[in-house]
Amino acid sequence: MPAETWNFQAYRGSQPPTFANQAEVACARVLDYYGIPWEYEPRTFVLEEEDGRITEAFTPDFYLPEQDLIVEITVMKQSLVTRKNRKLRKLRERYPGVNVKLFYKRDISRLAERYRLDLAS
Amino acid sequence: MRQLGGELTLEYEGRNPLLVAPLKASLVFVTDLSRAVKVVHELDFLELAPYDAVGPGIRLLKDLDAEIEGRHVVIVEDVVDTGLSLNYLCKTLRLRGPASLAVVTLLDRPYRRLVEDLPIAHVGFTVPDELFVGYGFDLDERYRNLPDLHVLRY
Repeated sequence: MPAETWNFQAYRGSQPPTFANQAEVACARVLDYYGIPWEYEPRTFVLEEEDGRITEAFTPDFYLPEQDLIVEITVMKQSLVTRKNRKLRKLRERYPGVNVKLFYKRDISRLAERYRLDLAS
Repeated sequence: MRQLGGELTLEYEGRNPLLVAPLKASLVFVTDLSRAVKVVHELDFLELAPYDAVGPGIRLLKDLDAEIEGRHVVIVEDVVDTGLSLNYLCKTLRLRGPASLAVVTLLDRPYRRLVEDLPIAHVGFTVPDELFVGYGFDLDERYRNLPDLHVLRY
């Protein structure tokens, strides 16, 4: 989902972000509106290696440099987020200094209600 | 309310604090809180523009009437969750050189915080992830007048 048509002011990445879904676009717009600097998928974290080969990695959605906070958005139903939760648990174990927050579908819905976001499609 | 008012009373004795309430949801809370604060203080209001995805960014629709340079300012919030609007408010008011800046909020949802570095000094209730109406909280501008907080189910 290219975002070239949107002129983000607080985006701090070097390449135009390519969002995976409408919820990510909406979150980017909210961050931008409030002037919170953000980056999109700036870093991939290695979670598992075998014989020097990466077998599992995780690329969270947003990084807020001023807050030093990683934000992962999931639009999956709560019952289907087990795999993502497991990745986040591994990330926290392997990178204990990393501050990461997962926003579930319910959180996004609450944000959408509050900010009257269009999350269709 | 008595507890929050008592805490502010002890903290701001002789400092003539300015209670600043963002409109509109904080209105009921700030009027009750003001009556529970037993030291001389003043009230002022401001209003932030509602979120607009195609707008130019957050801005004040109504600014404070009072000058706050050198004043002890207490922002009286209805609820803090992501902290995005409160962060903007704090940054904006800090530029004006208050002697101190603190926040009291009726409700808090810390688990949804995106901005952590906020001067939240007093919290009424940490609440679960529910929508509330009444006591100033609205649903499309309705139900602010309900005297108590109600969890909205739909």
